[in-house]
Amino acid sequence: MRGRAAGVVERTVAYAVLTTLAILVLFPFYWMTVTSFKSEEQMRSLVSMFWPKPFATENYGQLLTKTEFTSWYGNSVFVAVSSTLLATAVGTLGAYALARLKFLGRGFMASATLITYLVPPSILFIPLYKQMQALGMANSLSGLIAAYPSFTVPFVTWLLMGYFESIPEELEEAAMIDGATRFGAFYRIVLPLSAPGVLAAGLYAFTQAWNEFLYALVFITDGRLRTLPVGLASFITGDVYGWGYLMSGAVLTTLPVIAAYIYLQKYMVDGLTAGGVKG
Amino acid sequence: MSVPAAEVRARPALSGGWSVGLRRLLGPDYRMGYLFVTPIALLVLSLVAYPFCYAIYLSMTYKLVGVPPVFVGFENYVRLTWDGFFQRAVINSFVFTFGSVGFKLVLGVVMALVLTSPIRWRSFWTGVLLIPWVAPTVVSALNFLWIFDGSLGVLNYLLVRVFHVLPQGVGWLSEPRTAMASVVAVNIWRGFPFFGISFLAGMKAIPAELYEAAAVDGASMLQRFRHVTLPGIRNIMIIVVLLSTIWTFNDFQIVYILTKGGPGGMTMVMPVLTYETAFGAQRLGEAIAVALYLLPALAVTIMVLARYMRKGRQR
Repeated sequence: MRGRAAGVVERTVAYAVLTTLAILVLFPFYWMTVTSFKSEEQMRSLVSMFWPKPFATENYGQLLTKTEFTSWYGNSVFVAVSSTLLATAVGTLGAYALARLKFLGRGFMASATLITYLVPPSILFIPLYKQMQALGMANSLSGLIAAYPSFTVPFVTWLLMGYFESIPEELEEAAMIDGATRFGAFYRIVLPLSAPGVLAAGLYAFTQAWNEFLYALVFITDGRLRTLPVGLASFITGDVYGWGYLMSGAVLTTLPVIAAYIYLQKYMVDGLTAGGVKG
Repeated sequence: MSVPAAEVRARPALSGGWSVGLRRLLGPDYRMGYLFVTPIALLVLSLVAYPFCYAIYLSMTYKLVGVPPVFVGFENYVRLTWDGFFQRAVINSFVFTFGSVGFKLVLGVVMALVLTSPIRWRSFWTGVLLIPWVAPTVVSALNFLWIFDGSLGVLNYLLVRVFHVLPQGVGWLSEPRTAMASVVAVNIWRGFPFFGISFLAGMKAIPAELYEAAAVDGASMLQRFRHVTLPGIRNIMIIVVLLSTIWTFNDFQIVYILTKGGPGGMTMVMPVLTYETAFGAQRLGEAIAVALYLLPALAVTIMVLARYMRKGRQR
């Protein structure tokens, strides 16, 4: 049977391609983890390359006790969580208004939000920095919390607009016939139905804030106030890179994002495909 | 849009003279609408619109850190135009961007095709392939900095000692011949999953009947791809390519961490040059002129892209 043979070939090719891509994608993370468990000695003599023998945990010890890593971790959690809550709240309300409510200027606001999402940080970081300086918020975490909505809010709004538009309008109309107010219909009907979308949007906002680098690099000058990405990168400015503890820091920075992602993968993939781009 | 009858009945108190007029002028949901949109409007104004205008003003000044700006008109732009180092950065930015986006496009199509073929554990594979997109970019860049390391890096170890492809190690990021290709490779690695997942969504939306009809007509696999799949994801492709072009052109982290623009400016791209001019050389006005130099092109790209994205939504 020609059809079945073609199917087998197709599947074999697909698995070969998938395996190749998966190796390319995972290798850097595997390598980061392996490195983090190697001693300086093992690294320099190129022994036990692909599996540390013995497992050294000294890098993690050094990282947690001799560097400011734990303060950075706290800073990152604080900044990412606050700006996520802010972005999700503001974005959810705005997205609902732009997707559903009828008022003058809606189309304009929707376009403005989308264009805002597309304006790159590389042209905004200097004026924003001056602005934060003028407000006395440069070199403080509140400056970052104030600045991050510039990219998280438009993104959350755009993502959730698509989500709200996919919820049948009849549900709200039915609720309002039964005496609910416009707000009641939103709060009791639409919001619970869109919980997965709001969750996905919030997670993306969290990831974006957690990963943000440029603003944190520019705004923060005090070493203790750094966020994780900038803190990690600051390890490479010295002449001797401590690859072991740098990689152990990288592992600990990646963990929360990957953990959230594995746990909520379905929501995040669906959210991205439903709201990110749709054609 | 007409006001749904149900809504008027639900709130009879509002149908008095004033509010009827306002509702006709501003739309039936104007109160809740403006209430909900105000926070976004404030954010957009204070965090994007105002800084953007301020940036345009600053780019027309001679501004050193700590000194008040002096207005100089287009002088910064004119000077940059004839500055060889800046010209190189512009060319590098285009090479970096189009090299990356081209490969990401091809890899993205491949990824979407294999994920739509009849395989097991589809969501597992999707999840794995999407990891570079969710992982912190700084971490990925640091990983590659370590992988590419000239003396202890694992890439050289694999190529020289394990597979014997090269006689001796290469300083991937420190040699002019390989530096640009290396940073482009990292950008591709990080960005292709977004292409793949977007195309996957587009391919899933193509009706199966189209493929069946093509098969009945005797179309080969290649012909089906050419005449059914590609037209089906055309809009998504345009959107994703434009989005990625903007993102890649303005990517700062990967180049900054891997090479800081070196060796000898070989990988100096415009965002890194902006940063270096502002915080290395402390010339703020000129730095913003670097960032805004290609603003007309960026604006056109954003307008076209926004149109496509809104059109994609309205269907």
